[in-house]
Amino acid sequence: MKKIIFGFVALVLVNTVLAAKEVIVDQKNKTFIPHSVTLEVGDYLVFKNSDDFAHNAYTDDEANEFDIGMQPPGVDKKVKMKAPGKFDVECAIHPNMLLEVTVE
Amino acid sequence: MKLFFLFYFFAVFLFGNDTKYQIGKALYEETCVSCHGVNGHSNGNMKLIVMPRDLAKTILTEEQTYQVIKKGAKYWGAAADIMPSFESVYSEDELRAIAYYISKAFNPDVQKKIDKLWNQSEEISQNQIKKMAKRGKKIYYRNCSWCHGTQGKGDGEATRNPELSIFPYDLTKTLLNQKQIFLYIKYGGKFWGTHKDDMPSWKNKYDDFTIKSVVKFVENNFRKN
Repeated sequence: MKKIIFGFVALVLVNTVLAAKEVIVDQKNKTFIPHSVTLEVGDYLVFKNSDDFAHNAYTDDEANEFDIGMQPPGVDKKVKMKAPGKFDVECAIHPNMLLEVTVE
Repeated sequence: MKLFFLFYFFAVFLFGNDTKYQIGKALYEETCVSCHGVNGHSNGNMKLIVMPRDLAKTILTEEQTYQVIKKGAKYWGAAADIMPSFESVYSEDELRAIAYYISKAFNPDVQKKIDKLWNQSEEISQNQIKKMAKRGKKIYYRNCSWCHGTQGKGDGEATRNPELSIFPYDLTKTLLNQKQIFLYIKYGGKFWGTHKDDMPSWKNKYDDFTIKSVVKFVENNFRKN
């Protein structure tokens, strides 16, 4: 019985991991590319930095609040989407950068 | 050469500011022109890590220009030692004459511009005054500290990238007054004569109350001058 339960739990976990997709957003010329993305709960938002200076990405959205900290050039940062909703992501260093995120 | 300037200073004594202008012009063309160009717009062919300020757009008053020429930009918080001190090169009168020429020739209305833009900004209400400290602290650490550092010394995390592509000012040493700091944050460095927009304009992101709160925070916590 224990083996069956363990197998079932493992299957669910593997399915969850496999189902989660990664959506890539680049930061280039002080712009989020693309400037809007749609994901599902459990998916990952992956931030790249193609500029030759540091960036950041954060949101104050209550359900999905995150702040990736400093992101040096060439470094990727990954954030998991926790709840459905629509919110803006900004870069704390460059005020004109804006990313619209929809989580379904 | 010295006799030439002695003659000029004698002439200033006799004929006043027009001669001071001519002395300043002569000295500017002798030294400053190689970086800042004939019209103060800077020499675009130079390969410097920080390009010289466009003197036709600078936020500095004549007195502040004199202070920068005298002590050099690093003394007043610049990260790069590109604008050197001329204290040991020129006499006090000569330094004053250069600042006078720069101010009159390239940017004669800077004080009017500062006053006009300041008067256009939103006034802070009594109710808002109580909220300024909290708001200023939050926004400084949310945005400004990435470059200017947690203690305002211009050594924030974003300066530690290997390309060393940004050069934020040490705010503890700034010679700008509160109005000027507000206008610098609001309109950004490029508006005031820098060649890159490393110090961006924050006017589309934050209202005047928020920017004035940040200025208050900087004044109360970092300024040493």
